[in-house]
Amino acid sequence: MRGRRRYLRFLRRMACLGALLASAQANELDMTLLGKPATTAWPTFNGDYSGERFSSLQQINTENVASLQLQWSYRITDVGAQRGAPVPVIKATPLLVNGTLYFTIPDNVYAVDARTGAKLWSYSWTDQGGHLVGNRGLGMYKSWLYFLGPDDWVICVDSGTGKERWRKQIADARLQYFTTTAPLVVKDHVLVGVGGDAMDIRGFLVALNPDNGDIQWKWWTTPDAGEPGIETWPSVSAALHGGGGTWLPGTYDPELNLVYWGTGNTNPVFAGQGRKGADLYTASIVALNVDSGKLAWHFQVSPHDTHDWDNTETPVLIDADVGGKPRKLLAQAARNGWFVVLDRTNGKALVSTPYVRLNWAKGVDEQGQPIPDPAKEPKVSGSMTNTSATNWMSPSYSPAAGLFYVNAVEGFAIYYLLDTEARPSGYGGTLTSLGTSRRFLKALDITTGKVRWQHEYPSLNGAPSTVGPGLLSTAGNLVFSGDDQGNLIAYSADRGKILWHFRANAAQSNGPITFMLDGRQWVVLAAGDTLYAYTLAPMAVNRADQ
Amino acid sequence: MLTAVLATCLPITLWAQAPPPGAPAAARFGQGVREFLGLGPPPDAAAAERGAPIYAANCAFCHGPLARGAEGPSLIYSELVLEDQHGSSVAEFLKVGRPQKGMPAFATLSDEQRKDVVEFLHQQIEDVANRGTYQVKNIVLGDPRKGASYVSKHCLGCHSLTGDLKGLAEKWRRDITATVRSPQGTWQGRVQQIDDFRIELVDDSGRPVVIVRDPDVAVELHDPLAPHVAIIGALADSDMINVTAYLETLE
Repeated sequence: MRGRRRYLRFLRRMACLGALLASAQANELDMTLLGKPATTAWPTFNGDYSGERFSSLQQINTENVASLQLQWSYRITDVGAQRGAPVPVIKATPLLVNGTLYFTIPDNVYAVDARTGAKLWSYSWTDQGGHLVGNRGLGMYKSWLYFLGPDDWVICVDSGTGKERWRKQIADARLQYFTTTAPLVVKDHVLVGVGGDAMDIRGFLVALNPDNGDIQWKWWTTPDAGEPGIETWPSVSAALHGGGGTWLPGTYDPELNLVYWGTGNTNPVFAGQGRKGADLYTASIVALNVDSGKLAWHFQVSPHDTHDWDNTETPVLIDADVGGKPRKLLAQAARNGWFVVLDRTNGKALVSTPYVRLNWAKGVDEQGQPIPDPAKEPKVSGSMTNTSATNWMSPSYSPAAGLFYVNAVEGFAIYYLLDTEARPSGYGGTLTSLGTSRRFLKALDITTGKVRWQHEYPSLNGAPSTVGPGLLSTAGNLVFSGDDQGNLIAYSADRGKILWHFRANAAQSNGPITFMLDGRQWVVLAAGDTLYAYTLAPMAVNRADQ
Repeated sequence: MLTAVLATCLPITLWAQAPPPGAPAAARFGQGVREFLGLGPPPDAAAAERGAPIYAANCAFCHGPLARGAEGPSLIYSELVLEDQHGSSVAEFLKVGRPQKGMPAFATLSDEQRKDVVEFLHQQIEDVANRGTYQVKNIVLGDPRKGASYVSKHCLGCHSLTGDLKGLAEKWRRDITATVRSPQGTWQGRVQQIDDFRIELVDDSGRPVVIVRDPDVAVELHDPLAPHVAIIGALADSDMINVTAYLETLE
């Protein structure tokens, strides 16, 4: 009897110890996975460093995708209305590391078991300002996660417990800097960008020490006195308040040791009279040395932007043969409706052409940069021009199909100039949409920029500009996306044929991911406040958070 | 007015961030955008108005008429001003100034006057940063005669200003209809919802119909505004502005 009690006590102690060990167990990312094709892990915002959001997995393919079934869903029920956001919307691309999914909404981080959808932990931040327009997700380094509060705080938390390790503020929210991006981890750098255009910020990208958040380097989007590019501004003060946020993660080429980043719209947003000139390096693609932050080259996709055309869309890195030669390319479908394919070693254009109907450009200059038509700048009496052709929603490139996929909008608006001062400030204008815009999934040929196929999303409503579906393509000849009416959809990648759909509670709001876990391929994506997880096997379980 | 004028020519949905001036929704919208942007408490408009002439007489020479900078720095981006709440710190600062940097003291102003000047600065920041309070300017700048000529050439083939267009702004509605054919039959009606997988109609008797878009179902949409949609993007800005000016001259 005594022996049995002792044995039970021993068992209890072991169980307690086991629980302690489990709760304290760090979830460590194998750092050699960073930049590798994402198969068993999805450890960065784009899965790998290329930004292709292409998966070599093909267990789910055109033959069987029709039988894709929901395995679990995770609904955020512990966060109500947030400032300016009546319901939580998951815009984050989750990370998947060792069977745990990590994702965010503004001010909140969640860790969820990828097998069951059970919550492991969550972390909440109390902000002191900043915009709650969205949060794109996390960066990961070893067993540490990096998350941004909207008020310009970088917060490092333990991936095993969600406990905060340190925090650093990188900008001032009162100056209308705000932070929504997913930090990008490259080597021993945590790269963090900023946004905000209500009050003429000076954009920058900063590299932080992953151990303590100390600044390693800071690259300013716009030049100061005496620096290259200042000749594209009428004054130093205009340049120092010229905008150029860096609010989406960039991409990285380890061989060239360059990170590629898209920069945001110029400020004042719609009033360009106080900043005549090209306004470098806003609304551009820039290549920076990841160790020094030094600019290697730039390509300005929206010279002298006056339409809020953030050029932050993912610069997708593609290795492909062009004219029989292997080339290192970079492709971007820009918010201004322009598609560019550049040589990423030097920024020279191979393709530079519109991918939607547009009227604001007069052609391209000798570098292949579009030339804006001054007649189409916002006017007091109005000027009819394109609305944004895309936004932060992730594009995808399939090397198998040779196609670049983008969710695009074709629409027009009247742009009004409201601030006619010689020194305008802030937005300085507004726009009024015209009629109903049309939404398309477009597949572009990267060698010509021509539309190989497109699918129009039928809808009675205009396309919303701030919520939109990201894209994922796979070697199973599939493209995953969604419409604006709650349908999650799989298309054949080569032809755009609809092969599967699922009616969710809201429109798809993030970029889908896929990975192998326990021998099965999973597809995970978000719609509104809910994360949905699918595999081919039939064992559906719904689970609210707990 | 802007909405009414333009709606007679083109289908339009006014952007949510520019509600019609004077509408009760506008103030709520401005407050909503302020909260969204985290701009803090709204400035006291009456105090800002009292502060305007004091600012113009004492400060504008260096800092510009709208505090956006001239010889002296812009006060829109000033940390000192952004930190201040209704004069909590800047009013005291104005008493002593920063003489070593050329910023004089304004000790002869009363405490109230200094607070009013600071409120004027907060109003300038609000006017720049809170795009929810922006007001569209007078856009009736075109040539009404040229606008009349455009309307006569492009619109009056279908419309009559004294007939179908009379009072159009009030009776405005865009009804997209559809004809849906399937082996089970044919349906017609106003479209309530459509995506790749289903279409929802209300037929002529008011009955709702939902049809799943199987491969053997054909959907034909009819948009009465299709000719207007075709104009969008092709219309010259000058025509748009002149037609607006012309329509403004009509009853």
